[in-house]
Amino acid sequence: METLSTPARVFATTVADRRECAPGVVLLSLSAPELGRVTRPGQYVMAVPPGGERAGTALGIYDAGETGISLLFFVSGPRTSELAGLRPGDALDLLGPLGNGFDLSGDPRDVGIVAGGVGIASVLLPAIALRRAGARVRLYYGARSAAHLVEAQRFADEGCEVLLATDDGSAGHRGYVTELIGRDDAPGLLLACGPSPMLRAVERLANERGIRAQLSLEETFACGVGGCWGCVVPIARESAQAPNFPPASAGGSDAVNARICKEGPVFWAHELRW
Amino acid sequence: MVAPDLSVELGRLKLAYPTLMGSGCYGSGEEFAPFADLTKIGGVVLKSVTRAPRLGNPVPRLVHTPAGMLNAIGLQNPGIDWYLQRDVAKFAGKPYRVIGSVAGFAVDDYAYVTEHLAARDEIEAIELNISCPNVGSEGETFACDPKLTSKVVAAARAATDKTLIVKLSPNVTDIASIAHEAQAAGADALAVVNTVRGMAIDTNTWRPRLGNVTGGLSGPAIRPIALLAVYEVARAVTIPIVGQGGIETLSDALEFFLAGASAISIGTANFTDPRIPERIVDGLAGYLSERGLTSLRDIVGKAH
Repeated sequence: METLSTPARVFATTVADRRECAPGVVLLSLSAPELGRVTRPGQYVMAVPPGGERAGTALGIYDAGETGISLLFFVSGPRTSELAGLRPGDALDLLGPLGNGFDLSGDPRDVGIVAGGVGIASVLLPAIALRRAGARVRLYYGARSAAHLVEAQRFADEGCEVLLATDDGSAGHRGYVTELIGRDDAPGLLLACGPSPMLRAVERLANERGIRAQLSLEETFACGVGGCWGCVVPIARESAQAPNFPPASAGGSDAVNARICKEGPVFWAHELRW
Repeated sequence: MVAPDLSVELGRLKLAYPTLMGSGCYGSGEEFAPFADLTKIGGVVLKSVTRAPRLGNPVPRLVHTPAGMLNAIGLQNPGIDWYLQRDVAKFAGKPYRVIGSVAGFAVDDYAYVTEHLAARDEIEAIELNISCPNVGSEGETFACDPKLTSKVVAAARAATDKTLIVKLSPNVTDIASIAHEAQAAGADALAVVNTVRGMAIDTNTWRPRLGNVTGGLSGPAIRPIALLAVYEVARAVTIPIVGQGGIETLSDALEFFLAGASAISIGTANFTDPRIPERIVDGLAGYLSERGLTSLRDIVGKAH
């Protein structure tokens, strides 16, 4: 997976629109034309906290275009609460775009996107890019309940086939989102973003059926730019994403820690050694 | 009017600005190049290196806490041999001073790594990390015992003539006595302080939230603790102090200078906004000018 040098810098943005998609789920549209133009699918930003005194917040870039970007996030603590309090006209500084993003090279024709919960916030851009390239895109989207499924229509509007799953059966299939992926008609490539148990289920499914899969991982970040080594995941030493590190002194492991924020956040499932 | 003099000397090391970026927080500096003005920082303290490679601790390595964060990285590093062969050359020609950081588990380790690292021209000074709280009880052993502090500092002192900064732990009963020993053993400067030990527990899983169980607390939460440590150390030693612990604003920085720090180190604040160090430097110049002061030295230790 390529790790192109990105035109990342600090972008001073302005909130253009704020919408609550569901209780506790906020969609912020930000005026930032240049950032919108340089963003690649699967990248993220670090939002500088308007009030200081806390670390920045890593947020997947939901949508991007000529006028700027939008961020879709679930309010889950003091940092996202502060961001949810922003109103149109307010300023928000962002570091980005960060991370490698999804590898959409090789003209994939039949792609499954697996999103769990907040993971939906990082998969719209790859869906749009793939649809514009004429690929068949199926969105497998799971959440706790119907109330936690947001923006599914947006994917349908882009021409994605949308398949839903909920833990309580209040919408779509009752059960795990990975159970939606049919055995006979599985996509040739999977892109996944969501909680770790879901990503591990996608990894297992991909390994069992010989499907290539890219997983966008999440971990608590501090710097978000590769400086602190707080957000690591073991990956195969032979991976193109493996950082330069000597063989482990003990155990002869073939794994090496990669930074999710820098070498990732997207990794090939078959290269993970977590 | 002439701009106030913000330069600092730590032993032989001359800093154009009194700001170091804390070890482990700032990579080699290049990671922050797109987001910060690296010509406006005094120096970068590199991530600690040990004699043997270390994979570090399991994730989660970070937990955000009120007004700060816990980290337990566990000294992940490639070991001194690999570091010298593959990494050190990249630190040449920076607009800031480059300070190597040495960690270890025995006096010999510190001496060996210090000697080999300091022998390189790219490395302009050495910080001795004798106070890492995240590698079991061994990591902090040196900084928690005056006699061991003395031994390890003397061994590193014998290994290099370059500036030796000794990083002290706040997790001690009497930091002044340890600071005194470090100076007596040959330290050129003291970094005060490393992180405060802490933990967090997940109330859903009933498990500690850090893979390492315990971690080091940093950020504004520890600022008053760090400030007192600087104040107490300043009374015990005559060598310069690099004050650190939750500095985010000009006002925070001023408190540390007034308490007796000659320079400051900024770590966690870079995770809030990488432009904080340059803002502090600009703010310091303005603060001194407004008061008709010509040098930062005019305010160091003035709270005593």
